[in-house]
Order: sequence, then C-alpha cells, then structure tokens
Amino acid sequence: MFADLDPKSPIPLYEQIAVRVKAAVSTGEFRAGDLLPSVRELAGRHRINPATVTQAYRALEVEGFVELRQGAGTFVKSVPTETRARERGTQARRLVRDMLANAARYGLSRQELRDAIRHELDGGTR
Amino acid sequence: MTLAIQTQGLQYRASREFAIENLSLAVPAGALYGFLGPNGCGKTTTIRLLLGRLRPDAGTITLLGHAIPEALPAALARTGVIPDRPHLHRYLTVQESLDFHRAFFTEWDTVWATELLASFRLRPGQKAGGLSKGETAKLMLLLALCQKPDLLILDEPMDGLDPVVRRDVLAALLEYVSARGATVLVSSHLVHELERFCDWIGVMDRGRLVVELPMSEFRGGNKRLRVSSAQSLDMTNAPFKVMARDRSAGTVETWMVRGWLPEMTNWFQRDGVMLREVADLDLEDGFVELLRAFRTSDT
Repeated sequence: MFADLDPKSPIPLYEQIAVRVKAAVSTGEFRAGDLLPSVRELAGRHRINPATVTQAYRALEVEGFVELRQGAGTFVKSVPTETRARERGTQARRLVRDMLANAARYGLSRQELRDAIRHELDGGTR
Repeated sequence: MTLAIQTQGLQYRASREFAIENLSLAVPAGALYGFLGPNGCGKTTTIRLLLGRLRPDAGTITLLGHAIPEALPAALARTGVIPDRPHLHRYLTVQESLDFHRAFFTEWDTVWATELLASFRLRPGQKAGGLSKGETAKLMLLLALCQKPDLLILDEPMDGLDPVVRRDVLAALLEYVSARGATVLVSSHLVHELERFCDWIGVMDRGRLVVELPMSEFRGGNKRLRVSSAQSLDMTNAPFKVMARDRSAGTVETWMVRGWLPEMTNWFQRDGVMLREVADLDLEDGFVELLRAFRTSDT
C-alpha cells in the first residue's frame, strides 16, 4: 500500500502517506479498529524519516480518520459514510487536477480533453 | 534550536591544493542531516575534524554540547561512527568484534545486538577480515547502533552496497532513530538515496559549505520552469535566481531557478510571455544545478 511512495513527487511524502490511508479507509480496505503500521515499522520498511510518518498520522488524526492511542498505536476510526464519500470525491478531483496539469504541459485544449474523456468512457478502442 | 553538531569558522589545510575554509555547520538535534558533495569536496576531512581525528588550524567544534577536541571522550561516548574505511580488526571474529567494541560503551544493548546479528545474517564465528563488503557494512552499523548513541556520524555508509543490503542497513538505522530520536549526519555523493529520509541537507564543494537548509525549503525553493516567448524578458529585476537556462527546445525555454515563491508567477504577466509550468526539482537535479551555479560564481 505504501510501496509506491515517491520522494521526487512535488506532493510531500507525509501527504502521500495520508492520502493512501484515506483512500484505503474510503474503499473499505481499512476498517474501524484496524491498527496502522507503527512509525518505526513504516519508517524502517520504506526508508523514510520517522518524523514524516508521525506528521502523516497526526494529519490523519486531525481529519478524524485515525486515533493515536498512547503506547498502543494508531487505530483506524469509524468514519461516517458522508466523510468516506467526500474523500472519494476529493480523490476524483485530485486525479482530474493532475490530468489538467499534464494537459496544460502538452498544450491540449479543453475540447480535446472532453473528447478524449468521452471516448475513453465509451469504451475507448482506439 | 538545540544543535547536535556545530562548527564555526573551521579552517584546515590538508595539502597545498586543498583546504577546508571557513566552515560553519549547524546540525539541529534530532535531524537526519544529509551531508552532500562530490567526491573530494571535503566531507571526509570535515568528519575527521568533527571526530577529533584531525585538529583544525582555526575555528571551533561542538558535538552534543562538548567542545572538540577538549571534551572528545565525553562526546565520543555518545556518538556512533561509521568511518570512510572499515575500522574492524581483521583477525577478530564477528563476536569478538562485538565484545571488543562494547567494552567502551556503558549502554551497550546485548539483546538488540543478538537480534541484529540474526536479521543481518552475520555468523558470530566468522573472521572480520573475511567478511564481504555488505557484511562489513552491516557489522559496522550494528556496532554503531548497539552502543545506543545520541548522535550517529556515518561517512558514505551505503557506498558500493547492493540494493538489498542498502535497504537492510537503512531500515535498521531508521528504526533506531524512530525509537531513540537520535541525530544522524550521513554523508554521500549519491543524492537520490538521501532524498527519502533526510530532513536537512548541507552541501559542500571545494572545501566550503554551499548551502545548509531544511529539505522542505530546498525542495520548495528550487523549481524547473517552462517559459514560452521569453526572449524579450529583462532579467535584471528577476525576484528569483536563475541557475540555468536551456533554450535548445524552440520557443519554450526550461529554467532552473532558486528562491522561488508561488506569487512570483505574477512576474511573468507581461507581453506575450507565458509561464507554462512550475515543477519541483528533485534533490539530484537541484544539487547538480546548485553546484554548477556555485562553481560559476567561484571562478
């Protein structure tokens, strides 16, 4: 789940971690009460700064996705359906934003993009 | 901010051709500090000065609050070291190396040493002289970690290691840092391996410090811009520093800039000029451009 963290990405690593956890919660891969990997484990396994993992877990706590229990670890909280839906919406918009940024780089017009999206949604063979 | 390592105005002449000049480092306590620079830039000499193995011609050094070289033993008791060349005794076995090393440290962690021996797949009976390069690196890290240091000074600890060993070594290091909150100064000329975990970087070149700053600032302020129709731009009042400007790709130029802030996009709002893209430079690109700019201004 954290295997594709990308230190070269403009998105900070802590945010990449938080986004992956939120995605897993919103799709049901993580359920209420599940224990997240410890800071030590995650930092060691993925060779990232422990402070980065802590920062991600704190951000998730502020947003209500996890609960930090002193000495026990970081647990997934029960997240209301609306929050999960909102998170899925955020993810969809993030994908579109990335696509728009790439499109701007290639100088594609909005109409060309719309055509391409329609084409792909319709099955997309060539 | 408490500093784990501080040097001020350090001078050391190593040879007629090479000297450390006016070096002032400040490594915050708890930082994972990447000490970068090309081969021969003075990283190893600096580390030897920090550890009291060379005496500076001028300037001061403080490690964990202890003045070097006056209070060297007190500082070294809390400092784990991987030197640039293995410091193991070839004729001792792995177990004898552990026993020898731990005699110098009161906090030695026997339980963890046993665990690490197993997870690193080091055989206690093997002679240190017969270890492979990867095994040697693992043993040196094990020795440095099990003395429970508050500061780790690692000189190219992963140089020449295969990816599997590199991961094992880094995992052990980062697990220790998580648990202990120790400060790490790790030198390397391989930039990308530090990118994942360092939160501070110091860059040296030609015996001098080029920059020292938090990684987030380094990444945030160094950008690659793509600008079209920029030929007519008057650059004299640019609010950022252009490190490199590539005009080889037609009307769209690629710029590498330092000191970028988001509001600077406004600066491009003028006749026909268009700022097409602002992308982060990764650490390696930023490092290369920084050195290039430093050397140009240096000559």
